[in-house]
Amino acid sequence: MWWRSASFILDQRHVEDPPNDVASSSKEPDTLSTLSPPQTYSSFMAAADPFNPIPNPKISAYYQTRAAHTAVVTSDWLAQAQAAVGHHPDDSQAPQTQLLASPSASGKSFCVINEFNNWRKQPDLAEAVAAIRALAAVIRASEATTMMELEIELKKASDSLKSWDTTSISLTAGCDLFMRYVTRTSALEYEDFNSARSRLIERAEKFGEISCKARRIIAMLSQDFIFDGCTILVHGFSRVVLEVLKTAAQNKKLFRVFCTEGRPDRTGLRLSNELAKLDVPVKLLIDSAVAYTMDEVDMVFVGADGVVESGGIINMMGTYQIALVAHSMNKPVYVAAESYKFARLYPLDQKDMAPALRPIDFGVPIPSKVEVERSARDYTPPQYLTLLFTDLGVLTPSVVSDELIQLYL
Amino acid sequence: MPDVQVLANDFINKLRKRKIEGSQATSRQTAELLRSVISQTRVPYTNQAGALIDAVRAVGEQLIAANPVELAVGNIVRRVLHIIREENLSLATAAIAGLGLSSVSDDEDDAERDNHPVLSAAVVAAAARSTLRPPSLQTLLEDVPDSGAVPHTSSSGGDSEGKSKSADKSSRSRKLKHDVIEALNELIQDITTCHELIAEQAVEHIHQNEVILTLGSSRTVLEFLCAAKEKKRSFRVFVAEGAPRYQGHLLAKDLVTRGLQTTLITDSAVFAMISRVNMVIVGAHAVMANGGVIAPVGLNMVALAAQRHAVPFVVLAGSHKLCPLYPHNPEVLLNELRSPSELLDFGEFSDCMDFGTGTASPLLHVVNPTFDYVPPKLVSLFITDTGGHNPSYVYRLIADYYSADDLVVQRRPPTAS
Repeated sequence: MWWRSASFILDQRHVEDPPNDVASSSKEPDTLSTLSPPQTYSSFMAAADPFNPIPNPKISAYYQTRAAHTAVVTSDWLAQAQAAVGHHPDDSQAPQTQLLASPSASGKSFCVINEFNNWRKQPDLAEAVAAIRALAAVIRASEATTMMELEIELKKASDSLKSWDTTSISLTAGCDLFMRYVTRTSALEYEDFNSARSRLIERAEKFGEISCKARRIIAMLSQDFIFDGCTILVHGFSRVVLEVLKTAAQNKKLFRVFCTEGRPDRTGLRLSNELAKLDVPVKLLIDSAVAYTMDEVDMVFVGADGVVESGGIINMMGTYQIALVAHSMNKPVYVAAESYKFARLYPLDQKDMAPALRPIDFGVPIPSKVEVERSARDYTPPQYLTLLFTDLGVLTPSVVSDELIQLYL
Repeated sequence: MPDVQVLANDFINKLRKRKIEGSQATSRQTAELLRSVISQTRVPYTNQAGALIDAVRAVGEQLIAANPVELAVGNIVRRVLHIIREENLSLATAAIAGLGLSSVSDDEDDAERDNHPVLSAAVVAAAARSTLRPPSLQTLLEDVPDSGAVPHTSSSGGDSEGKSKSADKSSRSRKLKHDVIEALNELIQDITTCHELIAEQAVEHIHQNEVILTLGSSRTVLEFLCAAKEKKRSFRVFVAEGAPRYQGHLLAKDLVTRGLQTTLITDSAVFAMISRVNMVIVGAHAVMANGGVIAPVGLNMVALAAQRHAVPFVVLAGSHKLCPLYPHNPEVLLNELRSPSELLDFGEFSDCMDFGTGTASPLLHVVNPTFDYVPPKLVSLFITDTGGHNPSYVYRLIADYYSADDLVVQRRPPTAS
């Protein structure tokens, strides 16, 4: 009786028809599909309003960067890059000139975003660490003389960072965590503003070390769960999971890894390269082959882009699918996530988050009438997860909301 | 000290030879042994808590190694360590509050506090408190001092130059031991009375004309059912005999003497009878941190049958059975294989089990595991002496009773000092 009304088709047409020429370029999937991700990003930037520093909010900058970090450089990608540079010579310079030509009134917020982008380009640095380093730079550059002033400046900088990329959860979580720490530190009786300020900067710089230490703690905690002769299924290229597997290999454990291909980022290819270097037997699967091989698998290991209040995780597209299959076959699903990824979100279903879209390359031109599901991530509810390995210890999904409550209340 | 060592060796021998049965007896004896260890440890004036912790760790390590499957031993060792840290902390905060502003000047001399000479007492107390809590999001960005610093804060208070404080110092050295031993006495008391506390909750869970299923024999379950009977609830009990030890027979006999209508069934008949049962109530050997249960063999099967027929599966466990570890291979690592003689008669089967008949190994193997692992999703409710809890709540109880530093009980290598 509850037939879905066909109005959703009409609604979609409305949504896809904005006056903005940015979105209209998304209606030309021919150009879209033949360009690989970094190119489309810069072309979008060129098409965007030159005075608007915030890129097209529909395209997720976070996933673009991750793709850039984990993408495999193939010869035809290089050829396309050359071709694209030849066709649009102003594209590569456009982002920089835009940023430089901005009105000086928003100078401070620009510094933050610039700073953040600089840090983010390093492949080994987590998003939250980059955010906190950028905020530390704000403190250093600030001319405030009281804690309140400093806090207000930080709040403005943190808000602008968050609005720059609304889709990145660890960015938001990192900013919130740092703001929370600043507010609580100023509540302690520091008589001298300068010493408080230097302490804040010092802790922010040290946060990078905390992040590395977090990965090592997580690797240590998960060692017991990897036994000799086990088969591990991995999805997505998570640096934490790679650390876990590296440590296990160094401890001379005998195990093999199944990697999903991870379309469209091809994370599986990159991960299998890394694991082959460690002499760990790796098998690549296409994403659809997960259920086929699931009965050979002993456990599933994934990272997380964000851990939400319910204890579920937000991760690369495909994680939910794998968790469902694993749950139905009684295989444990383990998540490795640092604690600064805990976010104050409570998605009720898959569409309940800010959309994070990324362009998908099918290799052949797609007719314009055909829609493409371009979301880059999905939400896995907590009942499909067995345990979370974090630097706060081994947690069951129900502990996450407890931790978050303790922090924010 | 040699006196305590003799006691300890005696206990370790008994553990190794599996002469002590039951987690309640084991926990009580472990607690009493540790109490003697503490009362006989000589504590220096400074870093008393550290000395106590080391002494308990040294003995605890040996106890745990004697019988790693008896998790209650490790639980009690960790409880004692947590008690020492807690008592030390409460004494330290009381001392610091008493010392007031003078602690500010003391901190400048203290080598541990090298970075912030202008910290107030409140900050020091807050930092000390945070080392006792498990690492959390709140403390992520803070400079968490090493746990060895916790005892030092008390000593920094005690080492100050004020003459009036030297009197405090000597009284405090006695106070810590005294407090710890008092807390330990309370712990022993709790262990002995856990059955009564659990049985008090029986009336809320067992209703009129219900049918209860249990397997094997557990003293907690017996007391629980009898308490409900005393409150004039009339109900029936199905007892599965619990092969190969057949302890269900003993339970059935006890229940009958107390006037309860009992039916005895074999383990294989559980699935057939489960649809007629309102609730399954069982005891446990240990409860793990994820909510999983190490229970006598056969209970995983009962739990699966109960889930299939939507029957609540209730586990009764005293708080000394709560273990802070996560099981990663419980069927193998937390299990014990007992003698095949409980299953087979050696006389009849001697030719099958014989090693000397030409072939290298016998064709007949007998596996007699003691325990089963029941995953948390099959358990509906835990009833402990603190009340009824969900399996997903177990982590909270663990945070109350144990410190994060004690998960691995290992003596710290002696530092050159």
